[in-house]
Amino acid sequence: MADTLLTGESKAGDWRSYERVILPPVKDLHQIDVYEQNGGYSALKAVVRDGKFDPKGLTDEVKASGLRGRGGAGFSTGLKWSFMPPVDPEKPRYLACNGDESEPGTFKDRQIFEYNPHLMIEGIALACYAMTIKTCYLYIRGEYWEYVDHVQKAVNDAYAKGYLGKNILGTDFSTDLVVQAGAGAYICGEETSLLNSVEGKRAYPRIKPPFPAQKGLWSMPTTINNVETLADVPLIVNRGASWFAGIGSEKHPGPVLYGISGHVNRPGVYEYPTGMKITDLLEVAGGARGGKKIKAVIPGGSSTPPLRWETAVDCTMDAETLREAGSSMGTAGLAFLDETVDMVSWTRRIAHFYHHESCGQCTPCRDGTGWMEKLLARIDSGEGYTRDLDLLLDLCDQMEGRTVCALADAAAWPVRWGIKRFRDEFEAKCKATSFQGADLATAGDGASGTPALVDGDKTLTPGGTP
Amino acid sequence: MPTLTIDGKTYEFEPGDKVLQFCLDHGVEVPHFCYHPALSVPANCRQCLVKAGTPMMDRETREPVLDDDGNPKINYFPKLMPSCALDATEGMVVHTQQDSEEVAEAQADNLEIMLVNHPLDCPICDQAGQCPLQIQAYKYGPEGSRFEFEKVHKPKRIQLGPNVVLDAERCINCTRCTRFTAEVTETHQLTIINRGDKNHPMTAPGETFDDAYSMCTTDICPVGALTEDYFRFKARVWEMSKTPSVSDFGGKGINVDLWVRNNEVLRITPRENLEVNEYWMPDAARLVYSTYNENRASGPMVAGRPTDWDAAFDAAADALRQSGAVLVFGSAFGTVEDNYLLGKLAAAVGAETPRYIARHDEGSGDGWLISDDPAPNTQGVERLGFSAVDAAMIGAQVEAADTVVVFQDDPVAAGVLDAAALEGKTVILFPTHTTNETLPLADVVLPVAMSVETIGTFVNEDGRAQMLRPAKMIRTANRSLMMSMGVGQGRPDRVGTPFDRWHDESKKVDCQPGWASIPAIAERLGRPMHYKTPRAVMAEAAEGHAALAGATHEAMGLLGVALETEAEPA
Repeated sequence: MADTLLTGESKAGDWRSYERVILPPVKDLHQIDVYEQNGGYSALKAVVRDGKFDPKGLTDEVKASGLRGRGGAGFSTGLKWSFMPPVDPEKPRYLACNGDESEPGTFKDRQIFEYNPHLMIEGIALACYAMTIKTCYLYIRGEYWEYVDHVQKAVNDAYAKGYLGKNILGTDFSTDLVVQAGAGAYICGEETSLLNSVEGKRAYPRIKPPFPAQKGLWSMPTTINNVETLADVPLIVNRGASWFAGIGSEKHPGPVLYGISGHVNRPGVYEYPTGMKITDLLEVAGGARGGKKIKAVIPGGSSTPPLRWETAVDCTMDAETLREAGSSMGTAGLAFLDETVDMVSWTRRIAHFYHHESCGQCTPCRDGTGWMEKLLARIDSGEGYTRDLDLLLDLCDQMEGRTVCALADAAAWPVRWGIKRFRDEFEAKCKATSFQGADLATAGDGASGTPALVDGDKTLTPGGTP
Repeated sequence: MPTLTIDGKTYEFEPGDKVLQFCLDHGVEVPHFCYHPALSVPANCRQCLVKAGTPMMDRETREPVLDDDGNPKINYFPKLMPSCALDATEGMVVHTQQDSEEVAEAQADNLEIMLVNHPLDCPICDQAGQCPLQIQAYKYGPEGSRFEFEKVHKPKRIQLGPNVVLDAERCINCTRCTRFTAEVTETHQLTIINRGDKNHPMTAPGETFDDAYSMCTTDICPVGALTEDYFRFKARVWEMSKTPSVSDFGGKGINVDLWVRNNEVLRITPRENLEVNEYWMPDAARLVYSTYNENRASGPMVAGRPTDWDAAFDAAADALRQSGAVLVFGSAFGTVEDNYLLGKLAAAVGAETPRYIARHDEGSGDGWLISDDPAPNTQGVERLGFSAVDAAMIGAQVEAADTVVVFQDDPVAAGVLDAAALEGKTVILFPTHTTNETLPLADVVLPVAMSVETIGTFVNEDGRAQMLRPAKMIRTANRSLMMSMGVGQGRPDRVGTPFDRWHDESKKVDCQPGWASIPAIAERLGRPMHYKTPRAVMAEAAEGHAALAGATHEAMGLLGVALETEAEPA
C-alpha cells in the first residue's frame, strides 16, 4: 500500500458505465405502483415475510456491507445499530430519520424525497425490523414543506399497501412512521437537537453521554440515521453486502449522491460510487463555468475545510483520502469555487451562516461566531489588520471542541483552513498593523491603528484596552 | 470506597458524584455559571472545563497499565470536559485551573468570549458586588478583551412579571431561570427565545411571569439580567449588612438573609437550608420587607399619651397588681422565649396559661413553602402548652377578666374581640404596628420588637426550631442584642458596612423585645425573672417542656434543629 492516499487515482472503478440505483432513471418512481413494478418493497418482503434475515442477521449484513452514515460523520451504520440495548418490552425504542439537511452545499436528501421516497420508506421499515423498533420519526427540513406533503402521501400509500403500520405483510412485525416537519433551524439537524425538536422542545443539542442509544427520544433508546443511509439498506438486502462493499472505495464503499454546486456548468445531484476523483466530478458537472480555473473545492458541505485545487486534483471522495488531504467527506456536497472567488468574502459568508444558525446554548459558539463574523466583515471591507488573522485563528482554538455539539467546530473549520490555505488572499485585504507591538494579537491593543506613543521604555497605546 | 485525584490530592467519593459538585464540596473552587445543585445539568456555559482522564486498562488482564515509576498511566479525554456533567469514576485524575495551565487558559478564553456581548455596566448594575460573572471574570478571566466591535443589542428593560425585570443584554443564557420554572415550580413560564447571540429568556407572548416564586430566578441569575422589581436600583450590595435569620412569613420557617442599610430592611433573600426551603422562597415572603420599616408602633403609651418606658412598665404592673382576673393572649407571631416568659408572668399574676389566636387556614397555602398557617410560631406556642382561642368560649372568658394582656397580636382585627367586649377592661397591648386595630382600645401600649430586631426561636410547622438574629437596631440599647449583632459594648456604627448609619435615630424603632419588657413588668410585681439573655430563657424553656427538648440556641445554630417529640395537645 502506498504511503499516501493522495495518488490521484480514482477508486470508483468504471464509473462511466455506473448504473444508478438510489435514483434510477425510472419515470414516476415516487408512485408506489411504479416502485413496486421495479422491484420495490421486495427487500422488505424477503426479510420480514420470507425470513431472509432475522434482526441480528440484518444488522450484521449492514455491518458487512461497510455502509457508513451519509449525514456527515461517516460512522458505520451497522455498528451504530448494534449499540441499541437489548429489547426490553417495557421500554419503547425509536428510530429518527434525519432529513433536516440544511448545510450550505448539501441538497441530496431532497432528491430522495422527490424521486424515490419509497426506497427510503422501505429502508426505514427494514431498520425498524433490525432494531425491533415500533415507531420512526421522519424529520424533514421545515423549509421543504412541499416534500413534507409529498413524502406524507408516499407514507400513506405504503400504509394502504400494508408496508407500514400494524402487522406488516401479514406478519406480527409492526412499525409506524411519523412524518414531522422541521422547526426551521440548521441546528435541528444535529442529532440530539433533532430529538428535542421532535419532543416539541427548543432544539438545543443535548450533552453526551448519555448517548441516544441509551437515552434518546423521551429518554428511550433511539437511533438516528440519515435519509440516504437508510435508502441504501434495501439495496444491500436485495443485492447483498458484498455487492455494496465492492462499489467505490474499499473503506468507504457504496453508491453516494454527490451534490455539486458552485462555478460549474451543470450543478446538481449526481449518483456515483464513492472514491470518485474530484476532477472527474468536475467533468460530470460539465466543467468549470466559462472555462475559468477552479481555485478551491469544499468537498462535503460548508463546514468541511476548503481544499486548494492543487490538493484537490489528487483527491478522491472517500473519508480516508479526504482526511489525509485535510478535509472531510461530510455530506458529499461539493462546491467548486473558481478564480473569481474572493476567499475572504466566501469565508465571511460562511461565518455569517454559522453566526446566524448558532442556537446560542454554549458560550463559545454563541458569542464566538458573532465575533468571527465581525472580524471577517472588517477584513473583507478592507478595514482589518493582519493581527486580526491571528486573532481569528486564536478564536478557532477557543471554540473548537469546547461546546456541546459540533456547530462551533463547523463554524471554526472553514475560517481556520480558509486562513491557513489562502492566507495570501487574506493578507492582501488587510492593512498592515501599523503600530509597534500591535501585531501581537494577544496584546489586546486598540483598533485605532494610531502609532504608539513611546514614552521612555514603556510602549503606550492611545485609549488602552478597548 | 472508590477514589479520584484532584490536583494531585486523592479523595474518596460516592459513585454517582459529579466532579464539579465534588470539587465544590471539598474546597476546590472551579468557576461555573449554569450549574446549580438543585437544577438539571445542561453544561452550556462551558466555564467549568477541567482536564480529566481515567487509568489506562490492559485489555486482557483488566488491570491498570503502569508507567516506569509504577504509577498508573492515565488516558486523558481528548477534549477538556465540563466538570459539572462529568461522572467521577474509580482512579479518575482531574486537573483544575489551579493545576493546569491548559485549563486555566481555556477558562480565561471562555470568559473572554462570554464578555464579548455582556455590557460592562457593573457601575450601574444591581448585581455588582455579588455577581458570579464579575467575581469570576476578575479571578479567572483574561486581563483585557480583544473585542473591538459594537456589542449585540437586546431589550434593556422587559417587565417579565410583577416582580421580575429582565435586562436581556446582560443575560449569558445559562438557562438557570428557565430550568427553575420548568423543574422546580413546573410552571414553565420562561423559555429562551431567538437564536445565537440574540437569545434571552422570555415568557410566551401575552403571558406574564407571575409564578409565586418568580423572584427565585433573580437569586440564581449569575449576572444582573434578572432583578427584583422592588429592589432594583435601591442599594448597592456592599452598602448593606446581611444577617442570616428566619422569615416570619408563614409557618414554614424559611431561612433568609436580611439585607439592611440605615436600619431599614431593604431586601430579603433565601438562605440555603436543605431541610427547610432548599434555595428558594416565595415572592410574598420577600415583599414583607416593608412591614419591618413602615407603620411601626414606636414608643410606649399610657392612656393614649406617649410616655417613657419606666412609666409604662409601672402602669402595666399597677394594672396587673390591682386587677382580679387577668386574661393573657400569647402570640403565634412572637418567639418561643417571649411566650415562655409571658406564661411565667401569667402564672405570677394568677392567670390561666395564655391562649393564642390560631391563624391556620386549611388550603390557603400551596403545599410547599407557602404554609396554610400565616403565623410563624404556632408550633412554638403549642409546645409551650398554650391552647388556641375557642371562639365560643372567649366572650365569657373576657367578660370574667378585669385586665386583658395582648402580646404581639391583634384580636380585634382577627375578629376574636371587639370594642364592646373590652369596655371597662384594662388592656395591656404589645403591638408591632400602628395599624393594629386593638391599639385604640389599649390602656398601656408597650411596642414590641419584630423578628428582624430580636433574638429568639420559631418552631416551624414541621417541628423545626430555628433561631432569629437581629438585623437592625432598636432605640433602646440592649446588651444582648448588641452582642448578637457583633457590636459588643462598642459603638453601633462600627457594625455593618461603612455606608451604614446605625446612629440615625429616626430609622430606629422605639420598641423592646418581649424578653426585655416582660421581665421589667415582673420585677415591678416583685417576681424578678433573672435572665441575662434570651439564650438562658430558651435553655430553661427547653428544659421544662418535653416538646421543646433540645431546642437550645447552641443546638439551633444557623440551620435549626428538628425537635424529636410532637407537641402535646394542650
